[in-house]
Amino acid sequence: MGILRLAHIDVRTPDLDLATAYYTDVMGLQQVQRGSVDGADAVYFKCWDEEDHHSLRMRYNPRTGMDSFTFRVEAEDDLHDYEKKLADYGCQVSRVSRGEAVGQGESIRFEVPSGQIMELVWDIEKTGNILGKHNPAPVPPPDMPGIAPPRMDHMLVNAEEVGESARFFQDVLGLRLTEQVLDGNGHQLGVWLAGRTNSPHDIAIVNGPNGALHHWAYWLDDWDHIRKAADTLAYNGVQIDQGPTRHGVTRGNTIYFFDPLGIRNEVFTGGYWVDPDQEIITWTEQEFGKGLFYYENIVAQRFLRMHT
Amino acid sequence: MSDRILRLQHVEIRVPDLELCTAYYTEVLGLVETDRDTHDGVDRVFLKCWDEHEHHSVVLREAPTYGLDHMSFKLAEQGDLDYFTEKLQAASVPVKRYAARELGPGWGEAIRFESPSGHLVELVYGMERLGNMLPRTNPPPRPEGLTGIAPPRLDHVFVMAEDVEAFTAFFTEILEFRLTEQILANDGHQLAAFLERSHTPHDIAVITGPNGALHHFAFWVDEWNAIRDAADTLAYHGVTIDVAPTRHGVTRGYTTYFFDPVGNRNELFTGGYWVDPDFEPITWTEEEMGRAIFYYHRQVNEKFFTVHS
Repeated sequence: MGILRLAHIDVRTPDLDLATAYYTDVMGLQQVQRGSVDGADAVYFKCWDEEDHHSLRMRYNPRTGMDSFTFRVEAEDDLHDYEKKLADYGCQVSRVSRGEAVGQGESIRFEVPSGQIMELVWDIEKTGNILGKHNPAPVPPPDMPGIAPPRMDHMLVNAEEVGESARFFQDVLGLRLTEQVLDGNGHQLGVWLAGRTNSPHDIAIVNGPNGALHHWAYWLDDWDHIRKAADTLAYNGVQIDQGPTRHGVTRGNTIYFFDPLGIRNEVFTGGYWVDPDQEIITWTEQEFGKGLFYYENIVAQRFLRMHT
Repeated sequence: MSDRILRLQHVEIRVPDLELCTAYYTEVLGLVETDRDTHDGVDRVFLKCWDEHEHHSVVLREAPTYGLDHMSFKLAEQGDLDYFTEKLQAASVPVKRYAARELGPGWGEAIRFESPSGHLVELVYGMERLGNMLPRTNPPPRPEGLTGIAPPRLDHVFVMAEDVEAFTAFFTEILEFRLTEQILANDGHQLAAFLERSHTPHDIAVITGPNGALHHFAFWVDEWNAIRDAADTLAYHGVTIDVAPTRHGVTRGYTTYFFDPVGNRNELFTGGYWVDPDFEPITWTEEEMGRAIFYYHRQVNEKFFTVHS
């Protein structure tokens, strides 16, 4: 029983066509299908190496924001166990039946302590990656547009009470704490948590307003791909928030940038292997600048204050 | 429920010249010597990569021949020792149990048994933790002053078996590995299989060849550019490069193969992809085997199939 990995993120955007053009032509995602959610137009996207139906759903809404985020569990009967654990914690858990959401079967939904809606699912419609299973090329076709990351990697949400959120994700959901930033009083300002990816993080939580999405990140294989992604972003006039640079926390190589409607995206590579019994890494408040951006060593205010 | 087998823990390698090999693994490959011992009259040297936390990931064992003494996989929980002992005994596989530190310094509690291919396999829990070379408070992303290639960690092991299908069945059914890729002969039998526990393309792989043989073991590096830098280091030191930097079709990995001073094959590897537990395995056909193994050259040098230790 456990949380395997991030599966998909569902967001709202006030300009679906502009967002779609950006996510397909600049980010280089595949548009899976269009549809409608609660009467609003919606578009589903995935990365070229993802086998799931989609990893991003965007629907039209006058206000930008996050509807929910979904993690895949390790095994089919985990949903039942989580339903019980969440109810014991005091969460209102609702079951979503097969057929209610595109690209997946039964799931459970609940509100995390910081107010975001989280979903857990096992049954995901597997539509395959673009390479197939029979003598597949190791790379996608060379004429793919945009950055074309192979997969989504992690996300970061804000919480007013980071410590409470961290305990929820560890004790109730069974994620593993890998790194933390502590203020001078020993309170958690930020936490990095992993499911079964044995990576530095599948989700991170940093101090900020409840309900907010800070960013989600796509994986790239190589620092050189991060540099090429920066070229692609600059060529297309995308606003770069930070980088290319390196994090102290997670050791990752990174660029942050904004989609046309102001949602922060990241491309990420690097990190390290994390055994379940690994001792966590702690960053002190004085060194937080290096923890965030190791070369610049600055606590970037826009980075900390802007969110969706 | 326990995660069971997490990953490859270590390999113990036979080497006829312990000092020469220690010099190569520490100065060229850039591992760190953590310990030495004499066990049952045999001298051994213990090595780890800089980012590994536990006592060792490579053990060099003085012996008249080269090759693999055993491979060891890390267990998530102590109870996994009993769990796998019962499964193995139910399949009539003899299992030996060892207390912590009985097998050597830093060693955890372990069970050992033989695979159908005659390889000695160990499952271990509770290795001594030495820490990586970075502090746990405000750590820099890597230490300074590393020597040689200095890969952060051991990645996978690749062995040979006369009956690849029996090997695959043993590892999937009893040890609960998952098949990610296979190469099938025209008559449908498995020529090679790639198996994982870490959600990567492989923690162990097997190809048709003599029972008990080691084809290679591989260290992880973070990216393709690090493979190129490593090839420069290998060439500078006069190391025999078996396969220059290139790409695999199977696993999608970037690779270079080379030999330690006594002929054990090493690899540096990066790339790959994420594997869900219900991943549908990829199949390569015999005609495409060249592309499967070396994607750019579309052919496999004869040495790659015939030379092993």
